[in-house]
Amino acid sequence: MFAQLVASGLVQGSIYAVIALGMTVLFRSTGVVHFGYGAFFMAGAFAVYVFSQVIGLAFVLAFLAAVAVLVLLGMACERMLVRPIAHGPHVAVAMMTVAMSYLLTGVARFFWGQEVLRMPPIIDVPPIFIGSIVLTAQDLLIIGGCMALVVAFFLFFARTKLGKLMQAASQVPRGAALVGINVPGFHMAMWGVVAGIAAVAGTLVAPVTMLYPDMGAHLLIKAFAAMTFGGFGNLGGAVLGGLIIGLAEQLAGFYISTALIDIFAYLVIIVVLIVLPNGILGKKEATRV
Amino acid sequence: MKRITAILAAAMVAVTNPVFAEPGVSEDTIKIGIFAPLTGSASIFGRAAFGAEAVYNEINEKGGIHGRKIEVVREDDGCDAARAISAVRKLTAQDDVFMIHGGVCSGTVMAVRDDLERQNVPFVILGAASAGIVKPFKKNLFQPIPNSDVVATQMVDFAMSRPGTAKIALISHTDEWGETNSRVATEHLKNAYGLDISLKLALERSTTDATPQILQLRNAQPDFVLAMLYPAETALLVRDAHKFGMTTPILGNFGVSLEDTRDRVGDMAAMANFYTFYAYEPALSSPEIEPWTKMIAKYFPDHRADTFSYEAMGGALAVIEALKQAGPDLTRDKFIGAMESITDFQSGILNTPITFSADNHAGVNGGAMIAYRDGKPTVLKTWSE
Repeated sequence: MFAQLVASGLVQGSIYAVIALGMTVLFRSTGVVHFGYGAFFMAGAFAVYVFSQVIGLAFVLAFLAAVAVLVLLGMACERMLVRPIAHGPHVAVAMMTVAMSYLLTGVARFFWGQEVLRMPPIIDVPPIFIGSIVLTAQDLLIIGGCMALVVAFFLFFARTKLGKLMQAASQVPRGAALVGINVPGFHMAMWGVVAGIAAVAGTLVAPVTMLYPDMGAHLLIKAFAAMTFGGFGNLGGAVLGGLIIGLAEQLAGFYISTALIDIFAYLVIIVVLIVLPNGILGKKEATRV
Repeated sequence: MKRITAILAAAMVAVTNPVFAEPGVSEDTIKIGIFAPLTGSASIFGRAAFGAEAVYNEINEKGGIHGRKIEVVREDDGCDAARAISAVRKLTAQDDVFMIHGGVCSGTVMAVRDDLERQNVPFVILGAASAGIVKPFKKNLFQPIPNSDVVATQMVDFAMSRPGTAKIALISHTDEWGETNSRVATEHLKNAYGLDISLKLALERSTTDATPQILQLRNAQPDFVLAMLYPAETALLVRDAHKFGMTTPILGNFGVSLEDTRDRVGDMAAMANFYTFYAYEPALSSPEIEPWTKMIAKYFPDHRADTFSYEAMGGALAVIEALKQAGPDLTRDKFIGAMESITDFQSGILNTPITFSADNHAGVNGGAMIAYRDGKPTVLKTWSE
């Protein structure tokens, strides 16, 4: 029983982690907290659905097309909506991401307002039994996809010159611009990249959650909780936070009360902000004066 | 000269547009306002609006009622109380409707019912099933669908109709809707059969996994699971129950459609142990329901009819019956009186007749369950059927 709860918790946690990862990558590279990321995730899932189920492309092509569309969407949002207000107060950019969320959700409602669509699993095989643990192929894909993204971005930021450059440009944009780095270009690229991650996440998760215009809102809260728990801006922290929240939900739901599952993420946000404001892996911010 | 012109103009207007005392009633039309969630996450329930409108269009094609055609004005409330208030104000103040046939979400109905009562606008519920809607009693408000008390009672009675049933578990949302349904089922089980709910679990909205709940149910081994859940979470429960090999029958609520659950689960094998409340006489996909489906398709060719599309058709037929009984000199009071005189009205679509009276406006007091048998939707009044 415990092993099954842990396995299911890891699957749920991976869903939270992959969304938290996209938000963390953007925060780390541009300093923007993306409140519209749930809607991008939804848009990615619907894009795969349209290309595969409506247009009839093979799944791999549909997936690649969806990622391409989301990358372009992310870049367009940065260029047209964020960049013009980038030098304004942070709250203006945050509100712009909220507006993006409502805009994308509204468009989805316009076309699919009455539908909750089923997304076929990527691999349609019977559940897999590992001892007493039951997992579906989709569960394994979610865990695998999440881990692959984490490793890829960890290597990108920690081991590549471009990754380090992006972090530097995010922390001191004026200094980066003075030495000739195209900071707005970097930011636009990262908006595209994280939108692409949203398409990957939507593709992995939609067969589990099903497709509907508001599908991103609920998961966004869990992803925020994961980011808060792990430490804002910390890639490993976001993933660890997501996994821990997923595990804790399952264990608390079984051993304490099922009513605890839904409020757990909010409890995490409250407790962590009070007891450990920088999260379990976050660093305390120091300002030189 | 100007005065004479004005008097003549007023006289001409009076001749060409005879003034009727009742709002929304003209020489050749009766205006009915419909409001429902046509977009948003609850829009699956808003499909009831299309069924009702199809019935009104059909009577128009047959010549109308006492020479008047029904003119429908449809508004989208998005299942949001504030939007419902705006929609109803527009319908009554701007569109000047005779009556309202609307409300699929109980919250939106609660938000507008007092205002409509003050204006004495007849208010026939489209699909909102909360029993609290007709409590306290309101003279202008009618509920021609099985309400939550009826549904919860039917679910318990169906479970207890299987010989040997001794343990019933309950899983619900923790919102007002879930708790109200759970309370009615719990009380009915205790009062009618002397049993307590053996296990009560929560499953919140938008949850994406039901592993802890299924594992607890598998441990407790109940004879039935009553699921007071919305459609998405019901599908999640059915899917995860199948994933973990749980074969306990799961009974769904009125807000859950058999075919919608099948589509969401995407696996007929998972549907083997799922039953849900069913308000209609003909089974889904049967030849008997075909005329109703065709009626909707005739006026809304892009609409894919499903369980919720038929929900308000019985109520619309009751409205038409009352409009006929109220006679050609139609007033709101006459209409309300005619609605209260409807007794054992067989709509042909609902499996229980509609009956209203001067002190009871909850019109449908029964129902059935539906499940797949040999791949076909089958209506069951009791387990042994």
